[in-house]
Amino acid sequence: MDTAIEIKNLTFAYSGKQVLHDVTLDIPVRQVTAFIGPSGCGKSTLLRCFNRINDRIPNAKVTGGSIYVHGIDINRRDIDLQELRRRIGMVFQKYNPFPKSIYENVAFSLRLSGLTKRTQLDEIVENALQSAALWDEVKDRLHSSAFGLSGGQQQRLCIARAIANQPEILLMDEPCAALDPLATLKIEELIYELKKQYTIVIVTHNMAQATRCSDRTAFMYLGKLIEYGPTMQIFETPKEPQTEAYVTGTFG
Amino acid sequence: MPNEEIPENQAAHRFKKRGFSFESAIRYFFASNAGLTIVILTLIIVFLLKEGLGFFPGYRRELEVYRIAGLEFVDISRKNLTDHEQLTSVLNRAYYAEINGKCGRELLRSQEANALFNAYTDQTSSTRDLVLNNTQAGENKESKILAALGTNFAKQKAKALKSLPATPHLSDRERHDLIESIRIRSLESTEDPALVTALAEEFSNAQQKQAESLIGMRATIDAFDAAGAELSMLVSEMTEMVTATKEKIQDADILEKDRKTLLAAASSAKDAVEREKLTAEALASLADKPDVEGPIKKLLERRPQCSDAHRALQKSVEPLAAQLPESLSQPEASRLLSAARQTFPVFITNLEKTLPAIRDWNDKAPVELTAAIGSFLTGKDWVTGGEWQDFYGILPLAAGSLMISIVALVLAIPSGIGAAVYVNQFASNREQSLIKPVIEFIQAIPSVVLGFIGILVFGSVLRDLSTWDSLSWIPGFPIEERLNIFTAGCLLALMSIPTIFSLAEDALNNVPSAYAEASEALGASRVQTTFRVIIPAAFSGILAAVLLGFGRVIGETMVVLLVAGNRIKIPDFTSGLGSFLQPSHTLTGIIAQELGEVPLGSVHYRALFVVGILLFAVVLTINATAHRFVNKMKR
Repeated sequence: MDTAIEIKNLTFAYSGKQVLHDVTLDIPVRQVTAFIGPSGCGKSTLLRCFNRINDRIPNAKVTGGSIYVHGIDINRRDIDLQELRRRIGMVFQKYNPFPKSIYENVAFSLRLSGLTKRTQLDEIVENALQSAALWDEVKDRLHSSAFGLSGGQQQRLCIARAIANQPEILLMDEPCAALDPLATLKIEELIYELKKQYTIVIVTHNMAQATRCSDRTAFMYLGKLIEYGPTMQIFETPKEPQTEAYVTGTFG
Repeated sequence: MPNEEIPENQAAHRFKKRGFSFESAIRYFFASNAGLTIVILTLIIVFLLKEGLGFFPGYRRELEVYRIAGLEFVDISRKNLTDHEQLTSVLNRAYYAEINGKCGRELLRSQEANALFNAYTDQTSSTRDLVLNNTQAGENKESKILAALGTNFAKQKAKALKSLPATPHLSDRERHDLIESIRIRSLESTEDPALVTALAEEFSNAQQKQAESLIGMRATIDAFDAAGAELSMLVSEMTEMVTATKEKIQDADILEKDRKTLLAAASSAKDAVEREKLTAEALASLADKPDVEGPIKKLLERRPQCSDAHRALQKSVEPLAAQLPESLSQPEASRLLSAARQTFPVFITNLEKTLPAIRDWNDKAPVELTAAIGSFLTGKDWVTGGEWQDFYGILPLAAGSLMISIVALVLAIPSGIGAAVYVNQFASNREQSLIKPVIEFIQAIPSVVLGFIGILVFGSVLRDLSTWDSLSWIPGFPIEERLNIFTAGCLLALMSIPTIFSLAEDALNNVPSAYAEASEALGASRVQTTFRVIIPAAFSGILAAVLLGFGRVIGETMVVLLVAGNRIKIPDFTSGLGSFLQPSHTLTGIIAQELGEVPLGSVHYRALFVVGILLFAVVLTINATAHRFVNKMKR
């Protein structure tokens, strides 16, 4: 099994306060890996290390260990961040389409890389929207504002926007946290489709969601990786008592 | 359970609402404050309207008098006379620009020699005067003092000789001779150094020589000038006639007004004797109706004479157009000449159009209220306190306000928004904590202080700069007036930068950080994120910032009053961008300047109120539009 992201002894700190302790795990290609754990356990921080979006936060930095994406250490000084982020797409907890039209939202990353040819743009936008299972719902109003869509549609638009420039890895930071159960279901179905093509890492609070759509699950607690393994195993026969307590709901 | 015993019908139950409490007192206190501001604002608006709206009937009456007294008839001819004078002046300017331009070298040499000598006299004259005054006073015995003064002068002279201005157009030899002649110059001598006189002569010789080749043009200009004499004479004769009529009508109007006041007092007087007395007084003061018909008839008898004068002028001027040279060698002269050549046919067509106007003019035509309103809104003249006729047309003022605002906004928008974008998007925390207070500090400078900085520093520097040869390609340079639209615009830009900066920065700040995060996660660089996501998202807020900056600029008074030059005239747009370097007056400035001097309740006074109402409406509209943009962004 190929490894997409390889994390070795990673430690991470926000202005001196350590939030990740010695995390080591491998994320396989074209599978869905879920990070679960209570709030503040560092799962989102870990996810946000993969495309270095944490760089936006002042005084937040990796203090030890390394992350390899397809064998390349992404914390090296000579990393082209823009290119890295083009290869690793991200979907956020709260859907955040730009205040532009649906079309322009999806075309955003393509325009960034200088693509201006209308026919090419049209094609890629259509493909992305189709992959995000949104095409049929929006094809008649591509040029109206993205804010006119429902929450679930907006989140799928964000997924379409993220996959428009064909990333290798898709990071999802609690993508269904702000959505109702039906919209959540649609996104989960979408994740199932997308994993044929993309490596997906998803952070979730919802354990049922993790069992429904992930292949492997990592349980984190207080900045440490407690247990990592196939989802079935984590939920049915956890090795660590803390994991068992958490997945059975007796945690606390 | 203490309440169990209380019978049901007892009024004082446990949750009984108490009467007037301290809390409601506080509430009413704040409510009354809020109410007061609304009442005051309403009063202000009512007052403005009450004082202002009386203007239009008053102005209508003035325009009516203007017509029935025949002033309007005279102005038909006078307009052509003025045009004629202006055209003559433009032609003369072209002529002299050509001559002076051709002897540019001689002119410069003479000016430089003069400048050098003046620099010397400026520095030494005070000490020199001391010596001379004391000598003349015959203070011989105080020779010690005189000696001290003498050395003082010598010192000053030596110092002055060391710091003389450069003279690039004089040869080294000439400069040396000139300085030498100054050095050996006696204390009493009042004559200019020989070289200064010689160069002045050289210049005037050159002028004469150049004038020879332009003899034809000179003759044409003179002929053109002379052609206006007949009309000029006629107009001044008619002017005397109509002014007399106008005075009579105005006096009668005043008497009539007094009579009405008396009658009003009589009708409200309590006792019968008093009433009788007032009524009698009113009847006695009944003015004789001024004789308007007689003078106007006399004036209109001159109609044919007037038409003849116009025809004669047209006839003698028409062939002159062809006699003007095609072009001149000096750029400035050429520009003026082509301007004159362009206005020439216009002038002649105007002369033709005047004939039917003279024929059809009718003193009986009624003056409607709409004419007064139209004349106010589209009038090209704001003339007040004149002997002839007052006009209240706001175009020159509006043009000034608008042009100053354009200059201010053209300068302030890029720098204000640019600074906001930099501070919000790119600056480090330390830079932010430096730049923001500094820009907001500008707002703390009182505008009158900014005004005199504008006059003394900026205006002078700009004018000195404009005389540099290397900058002469800029339109409008060298600047004629130190105080002009551009200077005022620059200062207003400085004043509006904080407004635009703060509001634009707020708008950028209000863009959710999720947008920036999403954009960067998609592989956009910082700059790409700023320009493709943040600024478009903040666009309506930035637009609101610009509009509020505009409102600030157009409402500003002190700076424009001090710096704009206060010339009430629509800028001469023939000089292109150079028209921004002309002095101008503004809507705000005119109120500040004239309101203190006008008689209370006069038409002029009311006109200023209407200007105030207009400004109020403009600024209100701008602010309301800005608010709509802000709300749109908050959505």
